[in-house]
Order: sequence, then C-alpha cells, then structure tokens
Amino acid sequence: MRGSRTLCLVLTLLGPTGAPVAARGAEPWNIPHEKPVTLKGRVVDALCHLKGRCAPDCGAGKRQLGLVLANGAFRLAAKSNIDFAGAIPDLIGYCGREIEADGLLIENPAITLFFVQGVRVDPQSPFIPADRFRSQWEARHGKADEWWRADPEANRLISENGPFGIRGLAPKPRP
Amino acid sequence: MPAKHPIAGPSRAIGGDERKRMTKLSQFRILALAAALAAAPVAAAQEPRRVTIAGEVSDSWCTVSGLMFARGTAHHQCAIWCALGGIPVAIRSADGALYILLKLGDDENSAANPRIARMATHEVVVEGELLERDGVNYLLVDRIADDKGVITMTHEEHGIQPFGN
Repeated sequence: MRGSRTLCLVLTLLGPTGAPVAARGAEPWNIPHEKPVTLKGRVVDALCHLKGRCAPDCGAGKRQLGLVLANGAFRLAAKSNIDFAGAIPDLIGYCGREIEADGLLIENPAITLFFVQGVRVDPQSPFIPADRFRSQWEARHGKADEWWRADPEANRLISENGPFGIRGLAPKPRP
Repeated sequence: MPAKHPIAGPSRAIGGDERKRMTKLSQFRILALAAALAAAPVAAAQEPRRVTIAGEVSDSWCTVSGLMFARGTAHHQCAIWCALGGIPVAIRSADGALYILLKLGDDENSAANPRIARMATHEVVVEGELLERDGVNYLLVDRIADDKGVITMTHEEHGIQPFGN
C-alpha cells in the first residue's frame, strides 16, 4: 500500500510527459484534450532536431520550434497568446537554451501540440507572456487592432483568389 | 518436474525489521522505476519512411481547437492568417490524420512561409518523408504531385470563419 502511494505520488509529480508538472497559472482555453502544464526543455528547431537538417539560430524565426524535454520527448510549440499566431517569436531568442514554458498540452488523438502562454529561464522569475508576435509585427507594420486584417502579405494572398480561395467566388452582399 | 520460478517460494511470516527493509527496498525500486520512466522517450522514434499523402492543407490551431469550422472555402482566409502567423501547417487526410509540414521541396522555411500559406485549404497530393515522433506526424515534402486548389465548398453553410467577414 505504502509502495503504491509512493508510486502514485512520484508519477503525479512527474506527469505523463515525464516533465515536472506543477499547479500554476496556465489559463484554460477549453480546447479538447487540453491540459495545463509547465514544460522544461531545450528550445530547438524541429527540422534540425528530427532530421539533422540544421540552420543557424534555429532558422532565425523561419522554422517551427519546440522543446526537447529531459526524457527525450519533443513537443512542437504551435500557438502563442496572440490570435492566429504561433510562439516562434517567444522561443527563438532561447535557441539551444533550457527554458520553462507554461501553457496547454493538447493531446489530441490526431496530434500532440503545445500552446505556449509564458516562458522563463529562471524558475524563480515570473513567466514572460507569450505575446512577442504582436510587438514584432507592429515594429514592422505599425499599430493595428487586428494584425491579421492589416497584414500586407495576408491581404496580398487573399486578394489573389478571394476569401474563399476560388477566383470569382465572392461573399454574398450582406442585407 | 516443473521448474521452480526463481522468485516463487514458500510463504512465511515476515518480521517487523524485514518488513521495513522490504518497504524501503520497494520504495527504492519504485523510485528507480519512476526515474527510468522519466528518462525514457515518451514515444519511441520510428524510422523515416517514404509516403504519399492526400488531404487538405490547413493550420493545426484551427483544426484541433474546435473553436471554428476549419475546412474548405469557409476556412480559407483564416488558414492564410494562421499560416502567416507562424502556426504549424498540416495536411489533414480523409481519415483525420494530421501531417505537419516541415519542408516543401527545397524550401525548409516552415514558419510564416507565403508559399505554404498560398496553399491554404487546397486539396493536395504530396510525396515525401514521414517522421513519427511523440504523437506528431512530421512530413518533409519532396514533391507536390497534385494541387486541386480549394474544392471543399463549405462557405454556404459556415460563412467565412471565424468572424463572418
């Protein structure tokens, strides 16, 4: 019995990912299969880690990134706090370094993804919110309430074939 | 004569000191087991293999979030936004499997790549290398064998996702 309790305690502390899981402030987003976690791992470029095809500075923001945990598992970082934006701007400055990332692990049967809400290097420091996409975008394009509607590249692509992706197919005028 | 199991033996009463020693030993074994579990990869890496994948190009966020309808014409614009926002783009096959794109031909830029974003909600057939790691299918595309464009008409029912314009 005592051994069983010890095992349960150890497994609870380790969590299913093998990484320490503690109660902290990851915000629920009500995503199916989500689980608040803090992952501790090394920031790597996915293509470099998985295939050995490496680029300087983890691809300098042009490649998908993730965390390699102590148990060897690789977690792909897919989303930040910013609407329609990933977490690469929040992670790229830590290329090759160990960090803690707070967020939601989505263990969907079709795919396992990590949605980043905050990052830090020092475990004693507060998490830095994962919202650097906004400041980087605004530095390039200026302020906008909705970056996605103001993004020149997005507007250029959408203008090619319309919002439905089929040339000549346009939304019906609103009554 | 049946062979004796190496750990089987006659039952006997266990004294207090021996019980304490065994409890400590059990705890040590449990901790060692837990440490071994923590050190082991969550999912064993499989060898890469050549594949041909057919499906719809879409961003992984909208596909797994369940917050919006993430298919076809209704989702085309949103999928472009997400792709340019750096969210990993996937091909979703007819059976619901997702394949994250890490490479497209010679282009190894998988984040915010306009070339990938332009394929948002297109129905494609691609050839390449599949790497399965820790619950994710990663696809290194060598060749787009077919690109049918956007063929799944969902806007009549779902409008323009997620905001209606």
